Amino acid sequence: MTTAVVVALLVATGTWLVLRRGLLRVVVGFVLLGHGVNLLVLTAGGTDRRGFALPGQQGQGPVADPLPQAFVLTAVVIAFAVTVHLLGLLRQGQALDEDDDAEGPA
Amino acid sequence: MVAALVLLAALAAGAPLLARRLGRATGYVLSAGFLAAAGLLVALAPRVLGGGAVEASTPWLPSLGVEAALRLDGLSLVFALVALVVGALVMAYCARYLSDASARGPVLPLLTVFAAAMVGLVLADDLVLLYLFWELTTLCSFALLSSAGAKAVAPARRALVITIAGGLALLVAVVLLALAGGTTRISVLLAEPEVVLGSPLAWPVAACVLLAAMSKSAQLPLQFWLPGAMVAMTPVSAYLHAATMVKAGIYLLVRASTLFAEQTPWQVALVAVGMATALVGAVMALREHDLKGILAHSTVSQLGLLVAAIGVGTPTALGAALLHTMAHALFKATLFMLVGIIDKETGSRDIRDLSGLRRAMPWTAAATALAALSMAGVPPALGFVSKEYLYQGFVSAPGPAWVAPAAAACAVTASALTFAYSMRIVWGAFGGPDHPELYEPARSFLAPAAVAAVAGLLLGPAVFLFDPLVDAATSAALPGSVPPRIYFWHGLSTEVVLSGVTVALGSALFWQRDRVDAVLVRLRLPDAGGVFDAGHSGLLALGGRIGAGTRARPLGAHLARPLAVVAVLGVVGAVALGGALPERTATAVPGEPVLLVVLAVALACAAVTSSAVVLVALVGLVGLVVAVRMVLVGAADVALTLLLVEVLTAVVLVLVLRGGGLHLPPVVRPAGRGALPAVLPAALLAVGAGTAAGLGTWSLTGRRELSPTGAYLLDNAEELTGGTNVVNTVLVDFRGLDTLLESVLVGVVALGLGVLTRGPGREVRERPDVVLRVASRVLAPLAVLASVVLLWRGHDQPGGGFIGALVAGAGVVLVHLAGTGGGEGAGGTGRAVRLERLTDPVLLAGAGALVAVGTGLVPLVWGGALMEPFSVPGLYALGISSALLFDLGVYALVVSLVAACVRGFGRVPSAVPAAAPAAAPGAEHAEVVR
Repeated sequence: MTTAVVVALLVATGTWLVLRRGLLRVVVGFVLLGHGVNLLVLTAGGTDRRGFALPGQQGQGPVADPLPQAFVLTAVVIAFAVTVHLLGLLRQGQALDEDDDAEGPA
Repeated sequence: MVAALVLLAALAAGAPLLARRLGRATGYVLSAGFLAAAGLLVALAPRVLGGGAVEASTPWLPSLGVEAALRLDGLSLVFALVALVVGALVMAYCARYLSDASARGPVLPLLTVFAAAMVGLVLADDLVLLYLFWELTTLCSFALLSSAGAKAVAPARRALVITIAGGLALLVAVVLLALAGGTTRISVLLAEPEVVLGSPLAWPVAACVLLAAMSKSAQLPLQFWLPGAMVAMTPVSAYLHAATMVKAGIYLLVRASTLFAEQTPWQVALVAVGMATALVGAVMALREHDLKGILAHSTVSQLGLLVAAIGVGTPTALGAALLHTMAHALFKATLFMLVGIIDKETGSRDIRDLSGLRRAMPWTAAATALAALSMAGVPPALGFVSKEYLYQGFVSAPGPAWVAPAAAACAVTASALTFAYSMRIVWGAFGGPDHPELYEPARSFLAPAAVAAVAGLLLGPAVFLFDPLVDAATSAALPGSVPPRIYFWHGLSTEVVLSGVTVALGSALFWQRDRVDAVLVRLRLPDAGGVFDAGHSGLLALGGRIGAGTRARPLGAHLARPLAVVAVLGVVGAVALGGALPERTATAVPGEPVLLVVLAVALACAAVTSSAVVLVALVGLVGLVVAVRMVLVGAADVALTLLLVEVLTAVVLVLVLRGGGLHLPPVVRPAGRGALPAVLPAALLAVGAGTAAGLGTWSLTGRRELSPTGAYLLDNAEELTGGTNVVNTVLVDFRGLDTLLESVLVGVVALGLGVLTRGPGREVRERPDVVLRVASRVLAPLAVLASVVLLWRGHDQPGGGFIGALVAGAGVVLVHLAGTGGGEGAGGTGRAVRLERLTDPVLLAGAGALVAVGTGLVPLVWGGALMEPFSVPGLYALGISSALLFDLGVYALVVSLVAACVRGFGRVPSAVPAAAPAAAPGAEHAEVVR
């Protein structure tokens, strides 16, 4: 239940920021959307199995599904790459309209 | 047969090289090559003329049962010889028509490719192969048309769109035929017509074949592209748009006759379309004054007659169509070549300007007259004989009693019109006043056309030579039929009477040409080309309107659409689901509500803050909470990765913010009035998307057992891969290809970032902090060491390439922030330079991609599967496996991204490029110490 609320909050805030003025907000909004979707995929593995898929696991309950974890792991790194790329574009925009005080497109 | 195709392909490949050396004389070499290819086919003729066929095939797409199959029978031989012999004439003509410069252009190679495609098309015994060659001829035609320059843009596009549309119809026919007949082998399909005819797909197939042929052979109402195609240079018009390419549709129809010749709807459609085209084309030709225009409309008209004859479908009509195909190719190509000569010599193609050529250019005039007489169907030319047989075919047409006379009447009318415009050409050549300033072209220029014109005359009386060929071709199209015997003269029959009527009518039309012109000028025919253009531009405008929404300037408008779709999908999904869900099995863990509250507060603040610094801090906090949640659901590796990513993201954000933009525009515009309505859509959308995502999460997760894949991985991962960290084995072993591509993507972003941040700029370093510097000296090597350990143990314990690389990246960042990496003040130490080189993003990304891809490819050496795990002899004792090597590549790729961030964002771009002292990439290392 809490996971659902967390995902809802992340997606809602992410959507809000993406639609606001200011490119930095858009970038942060994408980061939050990424968090939300990553949590959703992880949760798809089931939240009643929370053990680490490792030798001598110390987690709680039975071992968690490793497949969504692998998906999300690469997704996290790719989300980082996307964020960095967006920031590169943002900085390029700063360089282009420094006089506009980085207003960004409305 | 294969040798002929290979020869043509070799000629096409060699033509540019030959042209560079020989200039326009290449045309003669290609001409000889075409004749040699024709010779290779003629050498097989004895077997083919006996009713047999020569076959060759090799497996091509075995999974689809498609073979690259060739088959030479009588019908293929007719069309292949037409393509090659006319091609040889045109090539010899090109040798004088083209200049040396234009001979080095694309025209000669394209013409040769076209010849190969045309021969391949008629030899293909597989539907897929046939389709491929069909489209190749279309593309060659487009390329040749386009080479005529700006004026050809619109006609070339028309021709392409129409013929490609026909090609698509053919593709549909190919698929349906394969479904109906169970094979793509043409000879097999045609051997048992009842299989296809008995299928419900038979009529769709017939319709698609007809459509394809109508587009290619310029039948009403698609005929308009052909006259437009006359903007191409004359050899192209002569070869493609008169003699050969437009005959591809005729070939297709004759082939399909084996299936459909006796089906009434097929006959009705072909005869109706063909006759209408013949009449309209002939009228249009009579209206024209441009010589090429006359010939183009005449081609349309003659093709219509051929289609109608094929529609009649009797052996006589089909044989007549084949004979006329050859006759038409000969006289029409001749006329085009002569028009090209006249155009070049006189500078005009208007038939009214050409009077009196007989004195200035007697030989040209004579050749033109001969070819035109053949077109008019005047004895003893070849065109006369073939027209006689066409009449014979129409007169003996099957069906109700009125059909044969009606068909014959139409054919006679079209032919009378043909006679009239042919006479205009003859008159243009021979009548009227003198033009003393003109002179005869070089003999070598005239020779190909003259040879063809004389051949057209002599082959009339010698038409019996064609008898075995037409016989074999007709039998190939209609197995078991009795083809007509071909003679020059067969007594005073109906056909001869009809010919007489034709000549009489045609002469009358010519005699009264002024009155005819007056009527024709007033005649208004529907402009199919205009309709096409209107439809074409309408379609483009429609696309523009549909796409208009995506060209909105505000960023939000772009992003809102997909998000709105997500929200709508959530609602639709919830309604569709209707509450029928399995029991939830999810468990709760103490502490989760606390995290939830922290997250909610942080997000709420992030949503309203106008300070970039606060936003960055909050996004870090949110990342932390999310990482903890990931630990709570048992995802240790993911949480570790996320934590490191959050640290690096924060660093990069701070580096970016140094460039300015600390104050974000206010969330809500300060103006009180109208502020709420402005944010309302975004707020609604945010709540909607959030609700949809939350509902989706709640209703679709936590309601089932462990997935079968997950269970399989947990049970077998260690045994299959030797690794005990199951998540890592999924990454490097089970889904290795996925990971490979993803890490290459990361490397690509690293390179892209390098390009994005190149530009002018200055290196900014904070004043080195002593504590930070000392710490970095200790911590950075430790970080690298730790990263190596994490990488090494990743297969068994939390760690791996991604995590290790991010730790190493943290070390790189630390060195950068402390200012101990790039050297201080002047030059810098050797160590620093080494570090600089080692963390070059391009080097790291390249090396990483090489290692990762290389490790994946190694098993192929001994015939293993791509990315199959293997053990490295000697290194195994150290715990180094192929998985580790692969992970090393991933490691390098991810480090390259971090290094690119530090390099790129470590510099502040300057707004005015001119202000930067050195914009060269080498200036990147220059620094400004504040």
